[in-house]
Amino acid sequence: MSDLLEVQALSKSYSKQRGWFGRQQIIALDNVSFTLAEGKTLAIVGETGSGKSTLAKLLVGIEKPDHGQILLAGQPVQISHYKKYNHVIRFIFQDAGRSLNPSQKVGQMLEDVLCFSTVLDQQQRRYKIAQTLKLLGLLDEHAEYYPHMFSGGQLQRVALARALILDPKLLILDEALTALDPTLRAQIVNLLLELQQKSGLAYLLISNQLRLVRHVSDSILVLHQGKSVDYGTTAEVFAAPEHEYTRKLINSSGG
Amino acid sequence: MLLLDIKNLTIELETADGLVRAVDRVSLSLREGETRGLVGESGSGKSLIAKAIVGVLNSRWLVTADRFHWLGKDLLRLTPEQRRQVIGRDIAMIYQEPSRSLDPTAVIGEQLEEAIPDHLLTGPWWRRNALRRKKAIGLLHKVGVREHQRVLQSYPYQLSEGICQKVMIAMAIAKNPKLLIADEPTTALESTTQAQLFRLLASFNQLKGMSILLISHELESVARYTQKLSVLYCGQLVEAGETNQVLQTPLHPYTDALIKSVPEFQPDLAPKTPLYALPGSIPTLQHVPIGCRLGPRCPNARKECVKTPALERQQSHYFSCHFPLTTKGK
Repeated sequence: MSDLLEVQALSKSYSKQRGWFGRQQIIALDNVSFTLAEGKTLAIVGETGSGKSTLAKLLVGIEKPDHGQILLAGQPVQISHYKKYNHVIRFIFQDAGRSLNPSQKVGQMLEDVLCFSTVLDQQQRRYKIAQTLKLLGLLDEHAEYYPHMFSGGQLQRVALARALILDPKLLILDEALTALDPTLRAQIVNLLLELQQKSGLAYLLISNQLRLVRHVSDSILVLHQGKSVDYGTTAEVFAAPEHEYTRKLINSSGG
Repeated sequence: MLLLDIKNLTIELETADGLVRAVDRVSLSLREGETRGLVGESGSGKSLIAKAIVGVLNSRWLVTADRFHWLGKDLLRLTPEQRRQVIGRDIAMIYQEPSRSLDPTAVIGEQLEEAIPDHLLTGPWWRRNALRRKKAIGLLHKVGVREHQRVLQSYPYQLSEGICQKVMIAMAIAKNPKLLIADEPTTALESTTQAQLFRLLASFNQLKGMSILLISHELESVARYTQKLSVLYCGQLVEAGETNQVLQTPLHPYTDALIKSVPEFQPDLAPKTPLYALPGSIPTLQHVPIGCRLGPRCPNARKECVKTPALERQQSHYFSCHFPLTTKGK
């Protein structure tokens, strides 16, 4: 299978005012590379400040990298192409409830996504929305609901619907499973696995829960202070962690 | 000796649509030196129970119980003033988000010193301030904060979430409480800090015989650090007993589903296979089903389940289900 996403030596640093004249460089990401094939899951693990979220932001084009490049299906990606490739990479945030507009009906929200990024007419849009809702186990009339009328698990499904309606190839889940209750989380995990098998979606899972990561992911990338300290298939990394930090992480989760 | 003995605790809220029963006849008991886990999903009433114990629910909530004893005294019969004295002396609580529960306008040192009661300071009055400061530093060392000078002079926003939580714990143990209630103490923290905090709590339990009520929605971490376990679903107590026993032979279908949905408890589950999940979602409190509240989601629900099952016991293992999973071949 071909590589869907290839990241080569990506670096990013922020500078911060220090004193009157001095500036301090904060290195958020230092020389990180990895590849992700179609239909696979890569988990990114690390503590806060390790650069996980910076990496996600670079991938969707919210921030610009200092060095390195991102190749999507062999093509280098530039920020100016954002509109072209937001069909391919979609992003899900941690708190579904807070990332949806409370004054907009779900159907309207999904239609906006289609209006901005596709050339479908109204008929086709409506069909597409119904189809996507069905795919995620929601009903047609849910399109007329406001976000507060949903429960936590359903909201997560709505957020997924917004991401999946453009038929992406890669989905970035930024701590999207962390805040869910255990039985709901199991439901969403099952849904994600099923979608992956059906349509060959690739996931980039940013998470702190190693047990879940172990179950869901094919390969794993451990970030520590902006550097990638361990990278390999999940089974390998768990069996023989190379870096001290990874070892500590695995021990602390009892994994 | 029973420290806390609660029988049939019911907490109701008066709303425009009538009484909403958020916690439905929950029994809970805690011995001296015991650690008990209270597990349930969001909206299951875990935090309400904790708040009812320390008496910080406002007057809109109706709290009734057949028995609500703390060291043999019925807390619900005491006047608020007396009750405050008892709780202020014996029970401490740690809240979910430490950086939000600390006072943002005062430095940590001030807040921590305020939490130290006068009767623990032995010395003439003119040395009180120095003793207080010394005790505060000692408390910080106890919870594993080494650079006490910097922390004492910082405001909460200047510290990381983990340090804030440690400060909260230091404030809670300042008065040597008999019971420490930890309400989701680790949700905001990293996994490495989480393990650290649980070890800290466990060490207080072992060294000082402090009882701990650990409230969480993560079964796996609770199971590792507690002796007893109570499982709540939607305000009803579904199962209680020794942690090991509950985990090995769950009798209630909900507990069973909870255990099966966590990959850690399923070592032979191949990666990328579907997890066991109950259908549907947690009902809202306005629309709870009658009888057993798990009813509509339960895989083996039958006609009898519209009546609330009574709490039954098998030795020290309590459960409330008409059709317990006893005949399961394992």
